[in-house]
Amino acid sequence: MVHDEEVAVSASVIDVAADPHAEQFREQVLAELDVLARVARRLTRDHHAAEDLVQETLLRAYRGHARFDGRHPRAWLLTILRNTHLNQVRKRRPDLLEDELAQRLPARGSEGGTEGAAEQALRDQLDPVVRDALAMLSANHRAVIALVDLDGLTYQEAADLLEVPVGTVMSRLHRARHKVRTRLEAHGKVEERP
Amino acid sequence: MRWRRRPPSPLPADPDCHQVAEVLQSYLDGELEPGDTGAVAAHLEHCERCGIEAETVTRVIEAIRRQRPPLDPDGIERLAGFVDGLTGAEGD
Repeated sequence: MVHDEEVAVSASVIDVAADPHAEQFREQVLAELDVLARVARRLTRDHHAAEDLVQETLLRAYRGHARFDGRHPRAWLLTILRNTHLNQVRKRRPDLLEDELAQRLPARGSEGGTEGAAEQALRDQLDPVVRDALAMLSANHRAVIALVDLDGLTYQEAADLLEVPVGTVMSRLHRARHKVRTRLEAHGKVEERP
Repeated sequence: MRWRRRPPSPLPADPDCHQVAEVLQSYLDGELEPGDTGAVAAHLEHCERCGIEAETVTRVIEAIRRQRPPLDPDGIERLAGFVDGLTGAEGD
């Protein structure tokens, strides 16, 4: 037997599911969950905090979806993610100045976040020369490598997240990759330039 | 590796080695306009020196990308469930 309340809830769910706005939102965000999870982990450096951050981002995005023009969903979501993270940091550390907040955004490690045993085991099999080369980069260089090469952001998306011009992202990426290349060449991992 | 500056766009239809070197990073990252992408690809087809450089840079980028930490599939599943909950799509 189905109670009236259950019928009401079911009807409500059907109404929402049939809502083209809800369906459009769903399509836009499901495609970006991996990127959001990666960037959130980089910002928070913690799996649980990253998941909370993405959920809060999705909630805010859903509430504001009516004002979204539908173009560049990833950039839109990353902006919300970034602002949500800044708000969370600001609540925890109200003493931080704006420029200090901005400084917290670039990734500080090549991977960020705490890793499970399985992830750690997999990473141990990866090339230690590359890992060491990345670890030796400056924080700014590591940040662009992390966002572009590891998280899959475009130059523009990385520039927006770091609040620097796109040319700066390209320049840092060039220098960072050049340093990795030099180290790989020194270890015979790639051929040296003639 | 001389691929740091955003190139003047569009490239000439038949760019020289210097022009290709300037945009190689953007080309390999898929950040060039379609017309410029075609011009660089055509150059790499017939220029052995630039082709070798592109292969080397690609290997560097791939080596870096292999360092990408894996995502927790359960976490992504939970986030997808959260989206379903938001949009009332449970049970689809």
